[in-house]
Amino acid sequence: MKVDKQLAGTQLDVAVTGRVDTTTAPQLEEEIKASLDGVTVLKIDFAGVEYISSAGLRVLLSCQKIMNSQGSMVMTGVRESVMEIFEVTGFSDILTIQ
Amino acid sequence: MNEITGKVENGRILINLSGRIDSGNAADIEHEIMEIAQSAPADPVEIDAQELEYVSSAGLRILLRVKKAHADMTIRNVNSEVYEILDMTGFTQMMNVEKAYRMVSVDGCEVIGQGANGTIYRIDQDNVVKVYNNADALEDIQHEREVARLALVLGIPTAISYDVVRVGDSYGSVFELLNARSFSKILAQEPDQLDWCVREYVDLLKKIHSTEVPDGDLPDMRQTAISWAEFMKEYLPAAEGDKLFKLISAIPRDDHMIHGDYHTKNLELTGDEVLLIDMDTLAVGHPVFELGSMYNAFIGFSEYDHSIVKNFLGFDLETAKVFWRKTLQRYLDTTDEERIKKIEDKARIVGYTRLIRRSIRRGGLEDSEKKAEIDLWTSNLIELLHQIDSLVFTVREIEVDALKDNLNTVTQCVESTLESADCPMKLQMQILLAVEEIFVNIANYAYEPGTGKAQMRIDVVDQDEQGGPQGKTVTITFKDQGMKYNPLAKEDPDVTLPAVKRKVGGLGVFLVKNIMDDVQYEYVNNSNILTMIKHF
Repeated sequence: MKVDKQLAGTQLDVAVTGRVDTTTAPQLEEEIKASLDGVTVLKIDFAGVEYISSAGLRVLLSCQKIMNSQGSMVMTGVRESVMEIFEVTGFSDILTIQ
Repeated sequence: MNEITGKVENGRILINLSGRIDSGNAADIEHEIMEIAQSAPADPVEIDAQELEYVSSAGLRILLRVKKAHADMTIRNVNSEVYEILDMTGFTQMMNVEKAYRMVSVDGCEVIGQGANGTIYRIDQDNVVKVYNNADALEDIQHEREVARLALVLGIPTAISYDVVRVGDSYGSVFELLNARSFSKILAQEPDQLDWCVREYVDLLKKIHSTEVPDGDLPDMRQTAISWAEFMKEYLPAAEGDKLFKLISAIPRDDHMIHGDYHTKNLELTGDEVLLIDMDTLAVGHPVFELGSMYNAFIGFSEYDHSIVKNFLGFDLETAKVFWRKTLQRYLDTTDEERIKKIEDKARIVGYTRLIRRSIRRGGLEDSEKKAEIDLWTSNLIELLHQIDSLVFTVREIEVDALKDNLNTVTQCVESTLESADCPMKLQMQILLAVEEIFVNIANYAYEPGTGKAQMRIDVVDQDEQGGPQGKTVTITFKDQGMKYNPLAKEDPDVTLPAVKRKVGGLGVFLVKNIMDDVQYEYVNNSNILTMIKHF
């Protein structure tokens, strides 16, 4: 998994590529949370993600909870295979998916 | 005592060596040999070593010097101790060394095993000899030795022959087999050991079938089976012959080991170790080939004449049937009769093909009893050919330490199995997700705060029942011996709650339940067993 971050003012853009699973999810969580101070808009680009397990879902949920109190979070480029997992788990209602 | 005699005869220098050659007498011996050899400096040298008991390095140096002066040099009748020295030091590569074959008699010796190519006799308490049917068997012996060595290196417990002997007009290879008892004998004498025998028999079978063999090191069973199917086209009605050929050709190449003659006479218990013998049929291929020949050994051969199994394996057909049934249950890790029958039927197709061809080639059609037997096998085969649309099934098993670090090992096993079963990409991902969730749960919680093992088993079976739905079924089973815990009993998370109210955990098992068609939990023999099924 690869994580690219770009901070412009108070907007953080994160592009993720690869698999977000038990092994890689802790890295994603660390990367995002390290840059979240003062961020009001978090954009996570998932166009490069073909696989997510519950470990990855937990990271997204905990980011969503943080952003609920300091701004907003948006997911972009979500692929069909990942979208199905979001739907089954109700994440499609929790997350803002564009 | 050392005596050297020599002469020059018909343009060859013949030298007889005897006794021991070591640093104490090497100089004298060299002097004598050179004297003989120099009398005809251009002639080839033949050394008869029949009486030679030992050579030290000083003796080897003499041989080298003779070889230098007479490039064409042969040593004959070398006993096995001396041969071993010559072999270890590379001399067998440098000059012609011909072994002396000990004569061994098997008169009155107990027959302890019987294979396709020979009979195994116990010649004394520690040793057995396999006498080959083929009179000119040196090549066969060499082959069996090589494949046994290969198997041993790959982790299969087997005996390797240490000597080749003459037995009457045949050759035999000698193995050390201390106080061994074959599984056939155990089953005949102690029927209450049946379950123990099944366990050991199947566990070794699984080990063989999970052993990957380097490309080209063993013959490919699929090729052999295709030639059987070609033969059967001549004999079967056209439609059935075509179908058989198609079914066998459709079995994918498989680089895992199969024994090829895996019955209870070829498993020996020595001390508390189980050894596999009769290795000459070792091959690579799909396990259906193995199950086919196993079916024959226990049932197929005796379907017409029920007494055959007693003569061959030493126990009656009823015992053979129970043993075979329990073997399948353990091998397939299920007591589901329907599932077992499905795979047994695939094996029977391979089995009958082999039996019918074998009997026809031995003139079975010309003998009325044999003909009746062939007819019975043929009608069974034709009936099965009408029901079965694939001979393939997949079973893979691994055991790992229940640690998150091993997730990749587990998912790779699943991934390669699903790929070879042509599982659609999207479904592969979903199944892998379920596998990850379950394995990570075990790794995180089962042995907390210690560690332990997790076993995973995956099999894919074609749904080829008559009139049933086309497609495949994948079954994945996880086992651990950690604390008793049923993950399915946990309440599902409320997926309609907003983010603030959602808990971070509990999603994994929920996903598994949603992805898979069926998920079952049971606690048996101190193991948590979780079975997940998906049709595709």
